[in-house]
Amino acid sequence: MSRHVLEASNVDSGYGEVQVLDDLNLHLDDEEIVCLIGPNGAGKSTVLKTVFGLLSPWTGSVTLRGEEIGGVDPADLVRMGVGYVPQVDNVFGSLSIDENLRMGGVARESGLDDVIGRLYERFPILDEKRGAKARTLSGGQRQVLAFSRALVMEPDVLLIDEPSAGLAPSIVEDVFRNVQTVNELGTSILMVEQNAREGLAISDRGYVLDQGTVAYEGRARSLLDNPEVSQLYLGGADYE
Amino acid sequence: MVQLAQLLVNGLVFSSIIILGAIGLSLVYSIADFANFAHGDLMTAGAFGALVAAGVLGGDPPTLFGVTLPSLPIPGADIVLFELPLALYVGILVGMAFAALVAVVTQRFIYEPLDAGSIELLITSIGVALGYRAIVQLGFGSGQRTYEIERTGRIEWLQDLLGIAVTPRDVIILGLTAVLVIGLHTLLQYTTLGRKMRATADNADLARVSGIRTGEVILAMWVIGGALAAAGGVFLGLDTLVRPRMGFDILLVVFAAVILGGIGSVYGAMLGGLVIGMAHELTPAIPFVSVEYSSAVAFILMVVILLVRPKGIMGEVT
Ligand SMILES: Nc1ncnc2c1ncn2[C@@H]1O[C@H](COP(=O)(O)OP(=O)(O)O)[C@@H](O)[C@H]1O
Ligand SMILES: [Mg+2]
Repeated sequence: MSRHVLEASNVDSGYGEVQVLDDLNLHLDDEEIVCLIGPNGAGKSTVLKTVFGLLSPWTGSVTLRGEEIGGVDPADLVRMGVGYVPQVDNVFGSLSIDENLRMGGVARESGLDDVIGRLYERFPILDEKRGAKARTLSGGQRQVLAFSRALVMEPDVLLIDEPSAGLAPSIVEDVFRNVQTVNELGTSILMVEQNAREGLAISDRGYVLDQGTVAYEGRARSLLDNPEVSQLYLGGADYE
Repeated sequence: MVQLAQLLVNGLVFSSIIILGAIGLSLVYSIADFANFAHGDLMTAGAFGALVAAGVLGGDPPTLFGVTLPSLPIPGADIVLFELPLALYVGILVGMAFAALVAVVTQRFIYEPLDAGSIELLITSIGVALGYRAIVQLGFGSGQRTYEIERTGRIEWLQDLLGIAVTPRDVIILGLTAVLVIGLHTLLQYTTLGRKMRATADNADLARVSGIRTGEVILAMWVIGGALAAAGGVFLGLDTLVRPRMGFDILLVVFAAVILGGIGSVYGAMLGGLVIGMAHELTPAIPFVSVEYSSAVAFILMVVILLVRPKGIMGEVT
């Protein structure tokens, strides 16, 4: 049996009666960055929510290093080394920056101040504003805080939903660089991205999701080079 | 001038009671996400809990469900501090613990298993309110009681100095309310539990995603809300009478305070309680308006403020 870090097998899932995911299969291996792309409404966010226990899979299984985690409470997954940065509402607006980071580390048994100190060194903007309410941050700063909040647990696996959404191109580069750095420090990353080309460019592998199921998968490079994928999902024009 | 100062003191006493009720109601709203119509009757439960405990521990046990309870006087039960015997101070703590327990049990066995939306929970809470009240009436009858403490009258030197009548009881109500409010503020701002409570109120999903056990936070919130409601109930009983309907009758005013302060904002609830309580007691100072219109004046003030600030005084601020 394969020992992927994270694996979803034959997963159906959705909201109430409405099915969104249909026989979804994907996996994440150690050290990888895997990028999930696809049109709006394809179910990308739903994949992350189902993996992270915010939704329970209707059928199929979700495993973490071989152990079933389908429907396991997010608060437990955090303690199992999985982190998640939601697409929207991903900071506590009425709490200060410092409090946001502390909330990110409630499940830590030790070293909270150290790890927050290191995050402040890495992201001086958070340090400067540590007493300010999170809702006063700009979009880019908010994204950095959301990302850092998840990093306080030093997760082995990180799920990130559209980290670059709504950000200026100059900031998008920073965001992707941060994702890469975290990955180099040993965290496997499953990332949803609308900026498909840029997302794939920093990824090892990719999945194209369409109508709740995987339409294409492969090395990130080969997806970028695939004319059909390019035509249908990457906006076509850039394909050389 | 003196008369106004007198009304201000009365207003502060009444505000204290409203504030203690409003905090819990607001906490439930912000963290458990529904308007709890049983909150007034939780105040009643706390008031009766304190009555029973003070009786048993003071050597003058009441009759409950037709059974006279045992007398277990604590040492020094009769020592009087500011008009109240030690047994009643302990009774207040027991009443707070009792109401907290009632709130937690209700959450665990009724609200939580229902796993319903805000409207369903609101309707359920009306049933819960009737349930609490029925139990109190079965246990104590529907008559009114008091904590059986003799009023020692106004504090002489304050009367001489300022010309206003302040009773030791007023001082106790104001002092203990201040302690409780400052304690809550400290908890919310400077402890991990308090931060978790604020985080859960802000965004419950993100709280879970961050690893916060929100179920535990919600129980803690019920403990705090229930305990403060009980304190408010006891103070209401000290100020007026201990009756099975006491909490229900004051619930509308408590709701007004919460709405005025900005639904779901704890600090707003405190401010709303102050404003509504003051308006209520200052009514006699308004020319041509008699004291029967106190509640009406409080509600009119609420409506006027909401016209200016539709989300309440602290809405979208905390
Ligand atoms: N909370 C929800 N309740 C009901 N339907 C939802 C909810 N969130 C998303 N959906 C629906 O699920 C489908 C997939 O949504 P989502 O996973 O957010 O897509 P993506 O992230 O790929 O844009 C969409 O049709 C969307 O309308
Ligand atoms: Mg999405």
